[in-house]
Amino acid sequence: MNPETLLAVIGSLAVGGFSAEFLLRLKHPMANALVFNLTLVAGSGVLMAMGGMELAGRYGYTLVIAMIAFTLIFLFSPLIFFPLRRLVEVIKFATLVDFLTFRYRGGAVAKMTCVCLVAASMPLFLAQFFALRSIVEFNFSPQLQSPVMLALVVLIGLIVARAIRSDTASYLSRMMASAGLLLVLAMGATVWLCIDSVFGGVDAMNQWVERSGQTAILRRESPAYSIISIFLVASFALPLNFNLLISNQISDRLSSSTAYVYPLLTLLLCIPVLPILWAGSILEPTFPPQDYLYVLPAVLESEIISGLGTASILLLSLSLLVSLSIMLSRMILNSFVLPDKNFYRQSELDNWIAQRITLSSLLLIVVALLLDTIVAGLSVTDFYLIGFAGLAQLTPGMLAALYLPSVSRRGFLIGLIAGISLWFATLVLPVFSGSWSGFEAYTGVALGMENWHIWSIEALLVNILLCTLFSSFGKMDDEQASYARLCMADNVYVPARVRLDQVSVDEVKLSLQKSLGDSAASEVDSALDELGLNASERRPAALRQLRDQLSASLNLRFGVLAAHRVMQQTLPFRTSIEKQPDDIYLIESMLAIHGGRLTGLASELNKLRVHHREVLDNLPIGLIAIAQSGEILKWNTAIADYTQIDKEVAIGSAIDELAQPWQSFIDDFLAADTPAQDSIKLLVGDQARWFNIQRSVDKNQPELGADRVLLVEEQTQSMMLMQSYMENERLASIGRLAAGVAHEIGNPLTGIACIAQNLRYQREQTPIGKSATQILSQTDRIDRIVKSLINFSRGDSAQCESLETVQLRKIIDEAIDLLSLSYSQRRVEFICTVDPLLHVQSDPQQLIQVFLNLFGNALDASPDDASVTIAAESLGDTVEVAISDSGAGVDENIQHRVFEPFVTSKEPGEGTGLGLWVVFNLMTDLGGSVSLTSPARDSDRGSTAVMRLPCK
Amino acid sequence: MLNYRLVAALTLLCAAVFPMATQWAMEPSGSWFRPFVVWALMVFSGYVVQRQRVWDES
Repeated sequence: MNPETLLAVIGSLAVGGFSAEFLLRLKHPMANALVFNLTLVAGSGVLMAMGGMELAGRYGYTLVIAMIAFTLIFLFSPLIFFPLRRLVEVIKFATLVDFLTFRYRGGAVAKMTCVCLVAASMPLFLAQFFALRSIVEFNFSPQLQSPVMLALVVLIGLIVARAIRSDTASYLSRMMASAGLLLVLAMGATVWLCIDSVFGGVDAMNQWVERSGQTAILRRESPAYSIISIFLVASFALPLNFNLLISNQISDRLSSSTAYVYPLLTLLLCIPVLPILWAGSILEPTFPPQDYLYVLPAVLESEIISGLGTASILLLSLSLLVSLSIMLSRMILNSFVLPDKNFYRQSELDNWIAQRITLSSLLLIVVALLLDTIVAGLSVTDFYLIGFAGLAQLTPGMLAALYLPSVSRRGFLIGLIAGISLWFATLVLPVFSGSWSGFEAYTGVALGMENWHIWSIEALLVNILLCTLFSSFGKMDDEQASYARLCMADNVYVPARVRLDQVSVDEVKLSLQKSLGDSAASEVDSALDELGLNASERRPAALRQLRDQLSASLNLRFGVLAAHRVMQQTLPFRTSIEKQPDDIYLIESMLAIHGGRLTGLASELNKLRVHHREVLDNLPIGLIAIAQSGEILKWNTAIADYTQIDKEVAIGSAIDELAQPWQSFIDDFLAADTPAQDSIKLLVGDQARWFNIQRSVDKNQPELGADRVLLVEEQTQSMMLMQSYMENERLASIGRLAAGVAHEIGNPLTGIACIAQNLRYQREQTPIGKSATQILSQTDRIDRIVKSLINFSRGDSAQCESLETVQLRKIIDEAIDLLSLSYSQRRVEFICTVDPLLHVQSDPQQLIQVFLNLFGNALDASPDDASVTIAAESLGDTVEVAISDSGAGVDENIQHRVFEPFVTSKEPGEGTGLGLWVVFNLMTDLGGSVSLTSPARDSDRGSTAVMRLPCK
Repeated sequence: MLNYRLVAALTLLCAAVFPMATQWAMEPSGSWFRPFVVWALMVFSGYVVQRQRVWDES
């Protein structure tokens, strides 16, 4: 190599590196898009720099159509790469093999896909070595060629080691962007030089093209369709394209720039191909067209442009060899090594993986170098055509993953094995062993590159045919079907609403430690950071999100198979994921974020969803939706106000994670299996509050274990009013009784006064003693009356504070005594047959109030000389008290409403209609119940009030 | 969600324009760079389509 060229090569490499770095530091969207697309261009750079000239020479305009086809998938990226990117947002794949393994499931898929990808990529390795060898052979004397090639191989090893130890993606991206930039500059400079020096200008060149009939040569018949098809299909499965476009470091906007920037750069690289080729046909150098990029400038004595071309091919080859070897090594590791690796026992796991990738990359490069020494007689174009035909075998499976959920693992594997075997037998083996005459005689078509256009398409068709055939027969298992649906292009990933065994982040860490050892904690911490959750999180929905994030992160670190094993071993779901309903909470969150992307009917439905959600949120009563698993799905604004628990905290939590008393309130109601409960008293802080609660079951989804919807309404204000009324009622009763008391006390006092007057005149001892006894008797009577009144009026609240064991008969007697004070003029007899040994758990004051009201009603209803009977019997845990009168009874129309407020059968002005309502509420407070039947038991008239009181 | 309008537009465009464009590009009396002009128009259509997309990140 002459010094000028050497300097030009070094200078070009430096300029390329600095320019790429400068563009990146600009941080401008267009600069970023340019760097990203230059990286993509570099992925097939050697094909354009060297193969382009040869392809144009062989196939004319087919080159142009093939390169359009090669870039067409980027134009159609909304169909292919965008659905993949949506999936990658939540699942995360490190490689193409991981994506196919995720879709088709199983170690066999991973291993087979990996083997095929490595085999199909090997010709691309050889193309790079071929390019390196070509520039070495052109620039160095034969004695120096082997040492320089050896030095280049060592350099590749060093770059591999350096790339793996640094941020691999960023390092390789910079290197490839520099190579792409140098290629664009080299092609531009060379075509300018050729047109100017060889033709004397563009017009002169056009005239020469007309004169020499070059256009007719370009339009000649060629196997155009095969090349176009294979280029189109292969560009999808090219590992570099796949990895770059699905990378989570690339934004959607950047990714979408490939729809026009990448085709534009490819177009700019293709335009110079024909002028350079024509210049070569005039200059007739001794080198083939694939070397024209650096040969023609040298022939035209422009060492700088020749050095630029050399530098671009050198950097393109080196960067692709390094990136391809690292990518394939990652796939090999993920498919063959990590799925069975015990991570727990491996110290410094990431270092260990990095070492294995380095070793594997170096091994691949050495294998490619060995093959390069064996293979002879093929050009760069041949290597690319063979490689693309092999890579094309993966594309049917990839497209089916996005669009055909019925394609099964069996169909995919059989199609792939058949296609890749045919490719290997017809295009690869002949490179090493020549053509097989037997096979040729059988097929009638020669093997090898001579009939590339036939074998490449046939291998692809066999693949598609067998894949379709074997997928059509047999049924996919549930797991396959579920993942097939998940990968569909228009599907949205929604995890199932399943629960983990772990209930806190600490438990997740502990479980993960069993597989990952010490790195588990940092893995969980970074997943929490990513999700914006805190370490105290206990909500099942949040833990599920954490699990998904961990799974995605492990997918990137270890591949789908190993990550799946780790997750199954350490964080398994309690129930099968296939049978669970979707995670409504996550759907809501996703729709909230991505709702703007919806169009047409979906958009209208989303508006309807928002409207309904707002209606539910703004309901004036509390609404809670609970999954069968106990997870809260809905928690509207009213219930958030009642409980002071934010909906963000409550939704996704389990019921048993709620603060008290709400947890017991909801749990008890769900366990009670009653449709509704009224006036449940809760102590919230120091304050007593009352709530009504009722349930509704979604009858449309019984097979999913219907979610439960609870409606909660606060009753505190009405309860306070009711208690206030009951207190007033009690005080009014005391007032009414007071008149009777005064009257009753008057009688014994008169008696005492008479006895005292008689005593004044008594001298004998015996009558005095008798009189004293009578006085004591009368004062006892006064004492009893006053005590009864005091007992009744002692309670200063209508609330039932505590229950105590009460002798039922004593309470009934006391109530009768009290009642007789205000109803003394009535001639109605109370017949009480209650056993004095019967006891109930109750509040004495409230129970007296209940009896007073019921006895009062019985007295009001009974005619004179009638009787009111009071009977009681023990029914185990309860005591039933029946109070029967022989009045007119209760009208059948209002019988079922007598315990409602303001309902009365008395004449207007005689009753308020609140007595039985008070009785009902007091009985509820006392844990009992009351009912009314009319006519009375064992009678054809009157009515019976039946009370049930707890006795234990 | 898949943008069906974009897909339909691209498919229709290809079906309607591709035969005509190919015929024009391959005319024997035409200039050698005509196929590149067709390609440039495709690149421009790609730019227009992508520019009209609604971005989640914006």
